[in-house]
Amino acid sequence: MIIKNNNFGGRLPMLIFIAWRNLWRNRMRSILTISALAGGLALMIVYTTLIQGMSRQMINFATNISIGHLQIHRQSYIDDQDIYATMPWVLLNHLEKKRAYKFAPRIYGAGLGAAGNLSTGIMLKAIDPEKERQVTTILDYIRQGKANLDLVPHSGLDNSALDIYGVVVGAQLAKNLKISPGDELIIITQAVDGSIGNGLFQVSGILKPIEPNFDRTGVLMSIPAIQSLIYLENGFHELAVSIDEKDDLTERKQSLQEDVSTWSKNNETSKNFRDDPIVVRSWRDIVSAIADMLDINKSIIYVIGGIMIGLASLGMMNTMLMAIHERTHEFGILLSIGMGRFWLLFMVLLEAFFLSLVSAITGGLLGIGYSLYLERYGIDLSGSLPDGVDIGGILWEPVWLGSFTPDSVFIGIIIMISIAMLASLIPSWRTVRLNPAEITR
Amino acid sequence: MQASIQHGFFARIMAILPVVVLTLVTQPATSAEFKDANALMRHIDRLWRSDSSQASLSMTVQTSHYKRTMKMESWSKGKDMSLIIIRAPKKDRGIATLKVKENIWNYLPKINRVTKVPPSMMSGSWMGSHFTNDDLVKENTFEDDYVSKITFSGKRDGIVIYEVTSTPRPDAPVVWGKVVTKIEKTRLTPLVALYYDEGGRLARTMRFENVKKTGSRYVPMRLVLTPEDKPDESTVINYHEIKFDMNLPDRIFSLQNLQKRQ
Repeated sequence: MIIKNNNFGGRLPMLIFIAWRNLWRNRMRSILTISALAGGLALMIVYTTLIQGMSRQMINFATNISIGHLQIHRQSYIDDQDIYATMPWVLLNHLEKKRAYKFAPRIYGAGLGAAGNLSTGIMLKAIDPEKERQVTTILDYIRQGKANLDLVPHSGLDNSALDIYGVVVGAQLAKNLKISPGDELIIITQAVDGSIGNGLFQVSGILKPIEPNFDRTGVLMSIPAIQSLIYLENGFHELAVSIDEKDDLTERKQSLQEDVSTWSKNNETSKNFRDDPIVVRSWRDIVSAIADMLDINKSIIYVIGGIMIGLASLGMMNTMLMAIHERTHEFGILLSIGMGRFWLLFMVLLEAFFLSLVSAITGGLLGIGYSLYLERYGIDLSGSLPDGVDIGGILWEPVWLGSFTPDSVFIGIIIMISIAMLASLIPSWRTVRLNPAEITR
Repeated sequence: MQASIQHGFFARIMAILPVVVLTLVTQPATSAEFKDANALMRHIDRLWRSDSSQASLSMTVQTSHYKRTMKMESWSKGKDMSLIIIRAPKKDRGIATLKVKENIWNYLPKINRVTKVPPSMMSGSWMGSHFTNDDLVKENTFEDDYVSKITFSGKRDGIVIYEVTSTPRPDAPVVWGKVVTKIEKTRLTPLVALYYDEGGRLARTMRFENVKKTGSRYVPMRLVLTPEDKPDESTVINYHEIKFDMNLPDRIFSLQNLQKRQ
């Protein structure tokens, strides 16, 4: 009676009801199919969470800890770390006045670090702690001790006029030189005037692992401290810039480059900015390997997710095939009593839709639940890798934290339902071609 | 790259070691015609050192950024022991380097500390200066690392010379592909040493000038090293005075003395 009613709105609830009931006629089979699909979706969501967590750690590593969003150097400093390739301090004042970004100047040097009978090559990185804190979090990455780069009081030395600054050293360097906070560190280097720079420093803190090279050789000190060591007074090597995260990186890079270029044109002095220009680079330029990896990660999510759900959809296809096959007789009767073929197809597709919808809800909930857990607690590898592991120059923290975004669920569900519906379209199409006379015989 | 700047110090110290170019000796050379290139090289090497030596010298380093002259005093005994103390300028005065076999220590008067230079910092070339750390590390092993041959003997440019070509032995851990030394035959003093890299290109040139008769030997008092890639840079060593074969007690070359004798 209702079936004879050709009105779509009236027929739809009926069909939905029938399709829903049909779904549970073979409970075990439906549950298995739902498990497969839901599992695929949950895996995709969790996978996305982990990959995004990885990406976030990479970006964090790239920008927050030491690089910042943008960096300014002389070209020859980029090319071969020429210690004489400095930018004058007035440039920093000029940029700070002109732009609301945060700027952190740095001076680099290299030397020999010695403590007790041990010595090794070290890299000196001099920062302005106040400005540095506004751009990077490196000073918060302290494992032991304090991030104190100021002069430390001392007594008992023959030369009481000697200034002793606090320094923060890399994790592996501290291990190699067997130094801990409070210990003395001797630094010998070649000053820019050719003299032999040497100084006594006190280790105030030890960094957590940041980047293998820096861990092994890095020594953080204040700008006055490095100036007392290498006599590089007239400038700095690097300016790290922090912009608003929401700002367009490329656009900001270009406008800052314009600022710098205009400034160097107006301040053409003994330092030849034309031959050795000042260059602005974004973190994507500086650690292009990481930037590339982030782009690859994004596409990998779709590929892997598609494969996972595609496999689960094969189960879906099988279920629908079975369901249609065992109900051929029933469909024949429905067709005989006047049900339209496409209504029948619609009903079968509705079944498939419910199947994937239930899977989407189950899988979504599972995926969200586990993702939220991973976001909070992560995968703890610190048992086997207490210092994390270095993959391609990027240090992975021992606890792999996920990063959950609702987008991943949304996209996952859309991908899953689309693939599942496509997969069920093939078996469902059989209903259209059924011959009622033959199958009801 | 940065890590190599500090090598400058050691390299400059190395430069004044009388043994920079050549290897060490166990037997004195004769003034007779040399057939054995290795013996010839040993003689050259011993020119600045003999059994023991004491010298005052200055070293001038010219780079595109600065020109500096340091005055120093050096002592050596045998092939294994040497001590160098910087006397001027004021900034570096009192800095001392002690070398005993393969070990090198520095004394820094400003901070009153002695530090040992790790072997890893001694090898390889360094930027901005004109010596490689190998010059020091390898001095005891020149004969082990290189095979020397007299490749020319006769008159060239009006001077009768020997030309000795030293090539590294297979698997020798050295940076040079070839070292060619030209030696004046009559006085047995070196004229020039040419260092070629592994690609066969000339990398740097050491010239020996201002030969002075000291005792029975003729010693070049001025050594000029120029890197080929930076022709306007150079390191010049000038010996003001050099004395040989005095009695030097071993304790001069001790860590205790390194700190005390200041």
